[in-house]
Amino acid sequence: MECVVQGIIETQHVEALQVLLQGLCGGRQEKLKIHEICLKSGTNLGVEASEVHLLCSLSQTDPVWTVRHVGGPMRGAGAEQLPAHVRSVLESSISSNALRFFYALGYKMDYELVRIGYVFQFQRVVPITVTATMLCKVPKLHAIDEAIPVTPGIQLVELTAPASTENYSEAVGAISSFAEHLAPLIHLSKPGVPTGVVPTASTAAASLVSRGAMKVS
Amino acid sequence: MSSPGTTCKLCYWQPSGGTTVSSQVLVDLIKSIESMNGVRSGRWQVTASQHRPIRRDQAVQVECARELLGVAFSEAPNKYYFVLRPDHMVVEADSTIQSIMENLQVYRNHLTVVFEGFQYQLGDFHVKAGRAVIAHSENLRGIVLEVEYLPVSSLGKTHQLMQEFVDIWQEVAAQSMTGRIVHLEPNFGDYSLSDQYSWQHTALQYISLMVHFLSQRTN
Repeated sequence: MECVVQGIIETQHVEALQVLLQGLCGGRQEKLKIHEICLKSGTNLGVEASEVHLLCSLSQTDPVWTVRHVGGPMRGAGAEQLPAHVRSVLESSISSNALRFFYALGYKMDYELVRIGYVFQFQRVVPITVTATMLCKVPKLHAIDEAIPVTPGIQLVELTAPASTENYSEAVGAISSFAEHLAPLIHLSKPGVPTGVVPTASTAAASLVSRGAMKVS
Repeated sequence: MSSPGTTCKLCYWQPSGGTTVSSQVLVDLIKSIESMNGVRSGRWQVTASQHRPIRRDQAVQVECARELLGVAFSEAPNKYYFVLRPDHMVVEADSTIQSIMENLQVYRNHLTVVFEGFQYQLGDFHVKAGRAVIAHSENLRGIVLEVEYLPVSSLGKTHQLMQEFVDIWQEVAAQSMTGRIVHLEPNFGDYSLSDQYSWQHTALQYISLMVHFLSQRTN
């Protein structure tokens, strides 16, 4: 399981977000470049239609493949009250023939995209991962080097934390609390809940970047 | 296969014409290992499964593999391997792939074969002897023998050495048993597996042996 909140930020403010995250986490950011392929089960295959994602991390020298299955969000009155989605997530590393494997099992590609940006990971009660990525569409089949941004001036920011049936309240509390620290730059909420950009983000970003520059010098 | 940097040869006991394999054969083979000064080092288990696709509407065909074969090793509990024979594909994944496949509900377990027995150390060789049974039954499908050569992982460099070991074992076993040790070697090249031995090679060998055992008639 994981809990997740997300929001959007203008690309021009991403540097300020990096400064803020470094100040809050003290950790290093790592570059992120992921080729993501969404696969859907073929006609009549399986108990019901299903979807699985193949992720190929291109940040390392050798590509690293992962298969990811995301379940629906937790339901019920209690879940509605939570400020974050809690959903089941299963991941497995897989050999590089993963795409051919799932095609052979009857899956078909629904779409593919490339996510480019960076990731922060740190510990605040629970392990928290922050990603800020630009989503890029792939114009021709698997032509990832020709990927172009879907929304050039906007990036997607996600906060995730692993959770279990025993501790999901704690995990939700941790990421919600951390999300408040990012409020000057970005509004984070449940996926699917539109937030828009923060109107005063420019002012906050300018302050953060100048403070960051002063620290470096 | 206890660690990387080794090669393995998987064999089975072929009883002589007119006889069937029995648990006594395993007892005798273990005695033959012990007579070669093999030192017992523990138990082992391999679980191989055959899965079939699930069709929502039975009257409608589905474009997919008709058979998905999977295998797990007690010595590598964090890994799971799939083999698709018509596609000549071996897939390696974390053991969580099993939970993912269960959630996807596209393939259903049809049959499982459990290989299990004892393992022995003989110098640079690691030997396993065990039986193959249909899970949740005592339906014995075969006797399996695995020879692992520890120092070298190149198939080309160890082929003759491994065969010589098996020949010696065959001679020792023949002193009290009728039958022979047969090696069922899949064509690793067809599956794009290299000369460097790996768990994927072992997975393919066990799957091939499971398919062989299931194809044999039983009494």
